[in-house]
Amino acid sequence: MESKVIQIPDLDKKRRVKGIESKKSMYGRMFILPWCIGMAFFFIIPLIQSLIYSFSTVIVDPGEMSTQWVGLDNYKTILNEDPTYTDNLISAVTSFFRSLPIVVIVSLILAMVLNQKFKGRTFFRAIYFLPVIIATGVVMQLLTKNLNGVDAIITLSADTTNTYTSSGGGGGMDFTTILNSLRFPEDITKTMSSLITSIFNTLWSCGIPIILFISGLQTIPEQLYEASKVEGATKWEEFWYITLPMLAQTLLLVIVFSMIDLLTSNTNPVLNQAYQYMNDSAVYDISGAMLWLFFAIVAGTVGIVIFLYTKLLLKRWS
Amino acid sequence: MAKEKLIIPGAQQTKSKLSKYQVQKQTKSVLVSIFRYVLLISVGYIILYPLFALIAYSIMSRTDLLDPSVVWISKTPSFNNFKNAWLGLDYLNGLSRTVIVGVVSAFIEVISCAVAAYGFARFKFKGNGFLFALVLFTAIVPVQVIAIPLYLNFRFFNLFGLTGLIGGIFGNPEFVFDLTNTPLTFYLPSLFGVGLRSGLFIFIYRQFFLGLPKELEEAAYIDGAGPLKTFLRVIIPSSGVVIVTVSIFSVIWHWNEYFLSVLYFNDNLPLSVSLTQINSRLSSLGVTFETQQGNMAAACLLFMLPMLIMYIFLQRKFIQSVDRVGIVG
Repeated sequence: MESKVIQIPDLDKKRRVKGIESKKSMYGRMFILPWCIGMAFFFIIPLIQSLIYSFSTVIVDPGEMSTQWVGLDNYKTILNEDPTYTDNLISAVTSFFRSLPIVVIVSLILAMVLNQKFKGRTFFRAIYFLPVIIATGVVMQLLTKNLNGVDAIITLSADTTNTYTSSGGGGGMDFTTILNSLRFPEDITKTMSSLITSIFNTLWSCGIPIILFISGLQTIPEQLYEASKVEGATKWEEFWYITLPMLAQTLLLVIVFSMIDLLTSNTNPVLNQAYQYMNDSAVYDISGAMLWLFFAIVAGTVGIVIFLYTKLLLKRWS
Repeated sequence: MAKEKLIIPGAQQTKSKLSKYQVQKQTKSVLVSIFRYVLLISVGYIILYPLFALIAYSIMSRTDLLDPSVVWISKTPSFNNFKNAWLGLDYLNGLSRTVIVGVVSAFIEVISCAVAAYGFARFKFKGNGFLFALVLFTAIVPVQVIAIPLYLNFRFFNLFGLTGLIGGIFGNPEFVFDLTNTPLTFYLPSLFGVGLRSGLFIFIYRQFFLGLPKELEEAAYIDGAGPLKTFLRVIIPSSGVVIVTVSIFSVIWHWNEYFLSVLYFNDNLPLSVSLTQINSRLSSLGVTFETQQGNMAAACLLFMLPMLIMYIFLQRKFIQSVDRVGIVG
């Protein structure tokens, strides 16, 4: 803006601007230099190493580790010979792509409700942010899974062979027992209990998406809604033409976050299987192949999703 | 409301119609708010359910667990579970280790991510877009994929090849450090902005910095401050909101970190690891306990307690920080 007022000869201006620009870009590189170093040593190199492991036989001697290139053998082993891997892979991938839209939509709805003005808003928000503490870590794992020989504390699904479900006692609430006592046909009980499980899991992973959405909703200027009200827009139109486009960036953030969350969640059967191989029997090659195959499928799809999102939607909305 | 009052005097005849309209509107708003509370309370119940279950379990004795008539409230409450959990977790030691490893690392991460994100947000240079795509990529890759090479990296740590050089001078070119069992396993990645979920934090910071008005920095530049000084004196003080948010996330995630801790630590276990081993530890100590579930529930509560306290104290600030500028600029 100042340049319009103060006339500077063209050549001079160009040179000066270029000088500042190159200096600025140098400073920019300085700011991200530590990150670049760290990424190379703590991310790229380990990533390539693990990729190499997945294509080799890894022999672990005490204190030393040697690898031998075997090509696709590990992948062939897990796909053809391992009895459970393909099932695990399919269930992990499908549950990933099923949960992602549900988590995003449910947390958007809850965020919009929590963003309205009503009595007790702060109280409800405080509760809704709690899963951030409870559900992001080992506690949740202990609650819902049998770990180290200890039974899960909460029983949700019918398929767990839980000892104290049969013994009949126990604290908390056992949904399977309740459903069973209602004497529905077995099919209904099963679907109901799996539905309940997925409701629980979904809501527990909604904590941070809700926070992100609320903070995005707060940035939408009130005037936009006022203007649309004057123009006679319905709530539905408001949502599609104001709320959603204004949330475009947040939506991307939520999608990225939920993907990370679902990928690394402790209910992921592929991760669990690979982790068992790694931890219990120190098999690094097979487990590497297991992880890489799953990861390649997901990363490919995710890349396409993000690409399409930025190319199509973000452009249309901005 | 004020608008309707303005309209009414002008149209006296339509008064009855208007009041009908008002009645309709009121019933609608009552219905909406009932629906809202039903939804919020039922979802809130599901969200709080694990916490309730933990509390219920933690004070139950063996007889309660076997008694089918006991659902939520224990008939013979006992606090033995907490005593056992305290012992099995080695609570105070574990707590101090978790703070030394996790919380310190979290704060290092909060700073380093801000630095990197500022570089991405405010400076144009070749490869900015590509490198930022890499940031997102680091966020998406599950840590399990790179865990084993990372572990080996720390087990035979050679300071990016430098120790080989130094060791070569003293006649020992295979001179390496064993960094496992030290907090450095978490500090180093955090220091370089590739720690626990750093990619996500860089993303959040960048979005926030992009939303800051450019005039702030231009003023500082005109006053003769360099980019580093501008960053420290102008940008950091005006991004308190996002720093609070990232700090809370980072501390909580470090607190709950389990996978890498199991890998890196054999002794001096942080709380999250000793939590999963509490029952075997109690057995090895020769403590007789009532039920495994009860112990576990009490231990879980003890483990979460510092985070819950932090949350209760910072909750207002946290919600405000979410409300104000917002994470997404």
